[in-house]
Amino acid sequence: MRVISKSIFYGIITTSFLFSTVAVSKTQISWWNYSNEGSGLNAALTQYIQDGFNSSQSEIELEIIFKEGEYNEATRTALLAGVGPDIVSSSGATYVAKYVEGGFLKSLEGYAEKFGWSDKILPWAYNTGVFSDELYSLPKNYESMLYFYNKTLFEENGWSLPTNLAEYEALAAKIQEKGLYPFAYGSSGWQMTHEHLAGNYLNTVAGPDNVYKAMVGEKEWTDPEFVESLELLKKHMLAGYWSGSLENYYAVGWDDFSAQFQNREAAMLQIGSWGFEIATGLDGKSDDWGWAPLPILTEEGGEPNYQLSVGGTLSINAASKNPDAAAEVLNWILTNKDTIIELTKSRNFGEWLMPLYYEEADFAGDIEPKLRDYLVDFSERTGNGNYGYTTWTYYPPEAGTHIWKDMEVVWAGDISVEEFLVEQQKLWEKARKNNELLPIAAR
Amino acid sequence: MKNLSNKEMTSWLFLAPVLFIHLLVVAIPSLSSLALCFTDWNGFGKINFVGFENFLELFDDRVFKKAIIHNLIWTVLFLTVPIALALLAAFLLTGVKRFQMFYRFVFFFPYILASIVNCLIWKYLFHPIHGLAAFFKDIGWESLATSPLTTKETSLYAVAFVDGWHFWGFLVVIYITAMYQVDESLYEAADIEGASKWQTFRFVTFPSIRPMFLFSFLIIIIWSVPAFDYVYILTSGGPAYSSEVVANFMYFEAFRNMNVGYASAVGALMFVYVFTILGFFWTLRKLGWEI
Repeated sequence: MRVISKSIFYGIITTSFLFSTVAVSKTQISWWNYSNEGSGLNAALTQYIQDGFNSSQSEIELEIIFKEGEYNEATRTALLAGVGPDIVSSSGATYVAKYVEGGFLKSLEGYAEKFGWSDKILPWAYNTGVFSDELYSLPKNYESMLYFYNKTLFEENGWSLPTNLAEYEALAAKIQEKGLYPFAYGSSGWQMTHEHLAGNYLNTVAGPDNVYKAMVGEKEWTDPEFVESLELLKKHMLAGYWSGSLENYYAVGWDDFSAQFQNREAAMLQIGSWGFEIATGLDGKSDDWGWAPLPILTEEGGEPNYQLSVGGTLSINAASKNPDAAAEVLNWILTNKDTIIELTKSRNFGEWLMPLYYEEADFAGDIEPKLRDYLVDFSERTGNGNYGYTTWTYYPPEAGTHIWKDMEVVWAGDISVEEFLVEQQKLWEKARKNNELLPIAAR
Repeated sequence: MKNLSNKEMTSWLFLAPVLFIHLLVVAIPSLSSLALCFTDWNGFGKINFVGFENFLELFDDRVFKKAIIHNLIWTVLFLTVPIALALLAAFLLTGVKRFQMFYRFVFFFPYILASIVNCLIWKYLFHPIHGLAAFFKDIGWESLATSPLTTKETSLYAVAFVDGWHFWGFLVVIYITAMYQVDESLYEAADIEGASKWQTFRFVTFPSIRPMFLFSFLIIIIWSVPAFDYVYILTSGGPAYSSEVVANFMYFEAFRNMNVGYASAVGALMFVYVFTILGFFWTLRKLGWEI
């Protein structure tokens, strides 16, 4: 009996050792991601990406490590020290550009060719990761700016969505006469909100063609169409379109403007596609809601466009000892569209909506139809060339911060729109001179 | 080394771990930061030496100039309002015999709260739609129905008020502690001489707590330079830079505009300013002032 027990004991030890050897022999891949435990992001990423990938094969062990606080800072410090995770995530192209400049990222060009990534990702989004003709990052999420509106309120009052500037201003006046705010919005806690509005007006007044020309240096930001765009924004801001007044707009944050929209204090919400989360807050109430692309704010109006935006990127650390295994992880993500759709669905489509080629059939029946319509419409319109540019994806760092930080100075009347744009032009010239422009694909 | 006695050696040995840690986490990073102010480093890539270019650019930067003026206003505000209130409160509290610890706790309480908590409380109170402004609007006091944090004429003072509200309790406690050290016989003498409350304060209390008063004066001047958290949380320096201060400007340049070299130049100037102030007080001390 003793002998048998001993044999079993040694057997267990040997088996455990063998298993542990197998586990150790797996290639370990680390990935740092920002933490948002409260919203369920950590659990969702662990379930869909980490566990999903690990159970799909037996060679590589992926570990997603969630970083509290400003993860870009933690990543930057680690990269500077020559360490950090195998898979580097960042908030956007601005960071990628700096990491590439510092030589911290591995070129993904070889992997892109090997795995055919350019056929999987929408071209405009793919191009945001190309620096000096080489791919360095994959887009993690795409966004655009939209209108959400209280459909029931519109029907009750006989209002309709505007298609040009005159209708837009007339609608705002009617809403204000009712004692409501035309739009729920504010910048408390996120000063960068100003750039959403600036981008909206530049893309719907001056238009994406002009914005593109200014970005590539074929026009100047001081040209009249840009002056007109920001003058109009200033006029509407001071008229209280957003939360009633400039003072209110500065004091209102996410919770406030969500409540404004959901409680009929505001008739519309002009926000990014992450605003679906707010709009669906009306679902349990008696009011119905709708969405629409932003109208063109000129006399004649025109075909609306979607502003392109990449929120978040994925790259491979140049110091990674296992770049091939890291590339396998990235490729698994790109080829498992169903998993990504499940993941982004668990995030209310506000996050992890990777810019892949989607078709209506990709979305299961239980997806919110309005959301599905948006995703399909976005693909169609942008595919037809009706797209504009968000400031946070296409502007170099200093010009990008100037557009929201100094916009307050314009609204305060301390400087004119012309003076503001002179400064904006200088910052673009500086970025161009220092080779700091972000990738912009030709229209 | 030979000249060091055993006792001195022991002292240095005890100090060594602290000095080592200080060297590692304070001195070396500070010196590196000073070196970076002569470069155009963006925090990621190559480091190029640019001489005094950052400083020249800074002296021409309208936002930086505005921030300096705001820091000076901030310093003057904190050297006057919280100090005056704290001196008054401490003096009155020393005469309170019952529940004194309770009052001390009440005054000190905001100081131990995290700045984010204090800021959120006041952000709600100052909210133009839901806060006190709504109340004033309801009772017809339209002129007060505004948000001081989001109005450019008042934002700096509103932020300073919130920071001062949390800070003055600290002053109350250190002044009370100093006042308790005053020789009781001096008060008795003043009482016999028929001194009024003001005269007692003017000629007995204040001269006796002068070292503590000057200490508080010094730390306020120094702490006003890196004032950051309340500004960052409440207004981020806005609206329209109306509450911008130097530390927030530096943070913005380093982490938003990615101009680490430029931000280091701001840090270097802050460093020089603080050392100048310390040198000034050190000189006064050498001249025999009780500091």
